[in-house]
Amino acid sequence: MVVTKDTQVEEVVKIKGVISYFIQRGVSPISCSGAFPQSLGNLLSIKKVADPDAFIEGLNEYIASQSQELKDRTDD
Amino acid sequence: MRKFIDENYKLFIDGKWVDGGGKKFETHCPANGELLATCAEADKGDVDRAVSAAWRAFETWKDVSPQERQRILLKIADLMEANAEKLAMVETFDNGKPIRETRAIDVPLSIDHFRYFAGVVRAEEGQATMIDKDTMSLILREPIGVVGQIIPWNFPLTMAAWKLAPALAAGDCVVIKPSSATPLSILELAKLLAEVLPPGVVNVVTGRGSTTGNYILEHPDFRKLAFTGSTEVGYSIAEAAAKKIIPSTLELGGKSANIFFPDCPWEKAIEGLQIGILFNQGQVCCAGSRVFVHEAIYDKFLKEAIAAFERVKVGMPWEESTQMGSQINEAQVEKILSYVEVGKKEGAKVATGGYRLTEHGLDKGCFIAPTIFTDVDNKMRIAQEEIFGPVVCFIKFKDEAEVIKMANDSEYGLGGAVWTKDINRAIRVARAVETGRMWVNTYNSLPAHAPFGGYKKSGIGRETHKMMLEHYTQKKNIFISLSEGKVGLY
Repeated sequence: MVVTKDTQVEEVVKIKGVISYFIQRGVSPISCSGAFPQSLGNLLSIKKVADPDAFIEGLNEYIASQSQELKDRTDD
Repeated sequence: MRKFIDENYKLFIDGKWVDGGGKKFETHCPANGELLATCAEADKGDVDRAVSAAWRAFETWKDVSPQERQRILLKIADLMEANAEKLAMVETFDNGKPIRETRAIDVPLSIDHFRYFAGVVRAEEGQATMIDKDTMSLILREPIGVVGQIIPWNFPLTMAAWKLAPALAAGDCVVIKPSSATPLSILELAKLLAEVLPPGVVNVVTGRGSTTGNYILEHPDFRKLAFTGSTEVGYSIAEAAAKKIIPSTLELGGKSANIFFPDCPWEKAIEGLQIGILFNQGQVCCAGSRVFVHEAIYDKFLKEAIAAFERVKVGMPWEESTQMGSQINEAQVEKILSYVEVGKKEGAKVATGGYRLTEHGLDKGCFIAPTIFTDVDNKMRIAQEEIFGPVVCFIKFKDEAEVIKMANDSEYGLGGAVWTKDINRAIRVARAVETGRMWVNTYNSLPAHAPFGGYKKSGIGRETHKMMLEHYTQKKNIFISLSEGKVGLY
């Protein structure tokens, strides 16, 4: 899965382990309302993230590394 | 469990249970992962039908007399009371909160909300003013129309009661959406409402925020939106309301200060600390998540707090001895534990807790140990951001001025408390903290008859009080000339 500004936050948070990436960077994608019900771009805008492109690029790298780690563990 | 919860739930629209046009979704018990029920998801057409049904119902509901509305609200309360055990069990299974809380707090408070608004609706009066000897001004309150209400997962039944009772008392009709994480208690409530309300007065549409929730926000025919949830989503609600030029009431996030002075009532204060952050597993918008303790008692208070936190029985929520149940889901566990790591990196120390509980049969649920951070600076992220779990930050203070400054150094202003036997100090501090609710020598008490709502980014509007009727009505002015003669301008 490649995440973009238009990806729904609800879809992103289904990826195991991804919430810690958000929290480490000061953005909570979930609350008592559930997952933020709009796009990732909108959430980053509301949270005034200075460089949303870098956030999303880092998020995709994080997801890829998690997938690889999971694959390695499975291969072991 | 099955004797309390159906296997399948539909949408409640126009007094009928109907299939939704969207995908079905499942709701699971967060304490053991068990499938509880499959629910319908409302698509755009379903929301359209719900709003249309509400407007049709409004044509007659708006003219129902206050006496009759009172009778209906009291009947709802009676039906809830007759089904109190079922509602408590459903809420406990769906949400993970301890049965001792749903039995003693969530359900009784919800019932009392309907009774409270049944009372105040009979005391409402308009105004008549003589502008001069020939001119009379009448001010009447009229229902606002059809209202969209969006409910969070942390207190599903209670938050629904907070919103439904004033709306119905005011003469409005409602389309309400529970959280997709905890739809069941509101759907069970709808079964009771169906026995007393005309079709269409209350419609329940279930589904995700990104689908059903957004259809509500986008729908052009609501006259008001009401929301409890996060500040981030609150922006979207306020924006959607602004685009339609309709009012919204918002009860949003918090990072409330729980302040302990040396003369605090000691035993009660230690319990107040726990009620502040462990009630509902800390998943409370007004949780006392920043604990300010005077330096004269800090060490002793912390020592006793740690012991008290470690004595708390975390367990299956339906067991009567359980004091703290399950967090709502895996995502929330991940969020809380991520904040624990953030706190450690910032230099705070975990005095107790800070980990997931999996032993003694808790491995399939979402259980977190009650957690205390020490060595916290109020500027740290763990002291500024809403963690929404049983995690409290201990901060030492020297005097009143310092603690007031730190308490106010927050973007939020929802709850808070001061613990002292000095009434002058209690009032001084309560007045100085910028928040909508300050408790004195108590915490998380939220009965009807005392207004609750936020300052700053914690929201707009005051619930749990008759002043909420203001938000669900609009004022009509009838301006009457009593003079028989012309004005004389033409």
